[in-house]
Amino acid sequence: MNAPRKLPSTGMLIYFAVCALAMIWPGALVANRIEPLVMGLPFFVFWYVAWVFALFVGLVIAYRCEPMEEADDD
Amino acid sequence: MTDSLLITGITLGYLLIVLAVGLRARRGQGSSLEGYVAGGRHMGLLVLFFILGAEIFSAFAFLGAPGWAYSKGAPALYIIAYLALAVIVWWLIAPYISRLGRRHGFLTQAEFLTACYPTRGNLLGLFIGIVSVLAMIPYLTIQIAGAGMLFEAATSGTIPFWLGSLLACGVVAAYVYASGLQGIGWTNLVQGVMMVVVAWFLGLATADQFFGGVGEMFREIQREAPEYLTMPGANGMGWGAFSTAILVSALGCVMWPHIFMKFYSARSERTLKRVFVLYPLYSYLLIPLLIIGFAGVVLLKDRPLDSPDQVLLTLVVEMANFPAWLIGLALSGALAAAMSTAANLAHTSATILVRDIGQHLPSLRGMGDDKALRLTRYGVVAISLAAYLLALANPGSLVALLLGAYGIVVQLLPMLLGALFWRRASRTGAFAGLAIGAALTLYFQLGGNPPFDWHAGFCGLVANAIVFVGVSLAASPMTQHTPAEALSPRS
Repeated sequence: MNAPRKLPSTGMLIYFAVCALAMIWPGALVANRIEPLVMGLPFFVFWYVAWVFALFVGLVIAYRCEPMEEADDD
Repeated sequence: MTDSLLITGITLGYLLIVLAVGLRARRGQGSSLEGYVAGGRHMGLLVLFFILGAEIFSAFAFLGAPGWAYSKGAPALYIIAYLALAVIVWWLIAPYISRLGRRHGFLTQAEFLTACYPTRGNLLGLFIGIVSVLAMIPYLTIQIAGAGMLFEAATSGTIPFWLGSLLACGVVAAYVYASGLQGIGWTNLVQGVMMVVVAWFLGLATADQFFGGVGEMFREIQREAPEYLTMPGANGMGWGAFSTAILVSALGCVMWPHIFMKFYSARSERTLKRVFVLYPLYSYLLIPLLIIGFAGVVLLKDRPLDSPDQVLLTLVVEMANFPAWLIGLALSGALAAAMSTAANLAHTSATILVRDIGQHLPSLRGMGDDKALRLTRYGVVAISLAAYLLALANPGSLVALLLGAYGIVVQLLPMLLGALFWRRASRTGAFAGLAIGAALTLYFQLGGNPPFDWHAGFCGLVANAIVFVGVSLAASPMTQHTPAEALSPRS
């Protein structure tokens, strides 16, 4: 095998795109308010904390779904 | 006075620990250039995680980020957003970089791109090398100057600026010179833990001392200055500027040579991916630092700071009633952020100077591994010294040089993606896109009005991608392989 071929799955790409859109315009528009405070943080700040966590969870799932065959190259 | 001596003592103790860890990492290390630059391509999960963390969290995390929250409010969240989203880009391309680096022996970013888009006389490599170093030296200077400023403020002048920055710079240069990436790795682990602990402790303690808790603090801001807590913030950063700043920073992050080159150092692709899975959580480090910035919104309402970057130091050192040992630890944590980034910058710049620029000079062409390693080490010392002198001279154009040069480095992203994933990517298209993208970015940075208030680099990237795709489609027929696939194996 000579090269990078395997592309990431569509589901994963969609999930990543959702995470990205949630943190910029227009996704973040829906969260642009102070109330309710969650964990002491204004809602807009909490929104970012929550999406970072959502991205983390998505990456855990993506990692677990990957085939394990990729042995070390060396 | 005794207080500032105690603070100085604690901080010097911390510097000694870092120095000892860094020098000790030299043991058991072979003396090859690959070992010095890429840790023999054998870096594991823990160390690589902290290296990538330390690279991103620089003096800016403790000075600039709270400054953004203090002066602008909610738009400061762009930093958290882009750090998390940058991981997606890493996830998608880093495993390929790592694999191709191992197969073809690449150690720098320029080597990878010139292999995919060959030019006569290594013109592209020279260009990338020079622009990267032009971006990294000002960046390094800012870290060293930040360290000096922190020292001077926290010790109330016992350690003056010139001595503080010299100490930080000297410690970094010593362990990078001696131990290369191994030294950086183990010290970054120490410094990373220090940063996280100090940041959280300071953030919560500050909110607690002045307001009785984080929730109470935000309630108070909501009563007194609610505009800080939502977009567009206190001085009106629009959604266009905010969103494109996030996108261009997240996309461009991978093109920083000191980050890109770390992908070569991973033990395996699985290791890299494990690092990336954990990485978004690192951005939580910024939450407490932003909390300190937000605290300043109310606490400094009557006497606004001239320089927002001073907000953390003002609150923690001057206003809060923290004991001296705690300020000593706080200073150590903030220094950790500056020094750990500085180490990576010095190491990477030296590597680029030797591999991408030096090796192609007629007098040094074809030098052996030993000589390249020796020159890289001298390069670390020379670059640290240059950055230290620049920090003392403090020329005003430093930030402009950083932004301009980095703006060009980011424009290499479309050709990188094309090389990895697009079979029709052509050299002509890549260079045309790069030229247009870089020109447009510089034009907007130097005062042109970007459309919709978009980030200058983002406008450049869009134009770059369009030109790259258009010219490539017009120029080249469909081929069997992407440029990266077409590389011949290392002989």
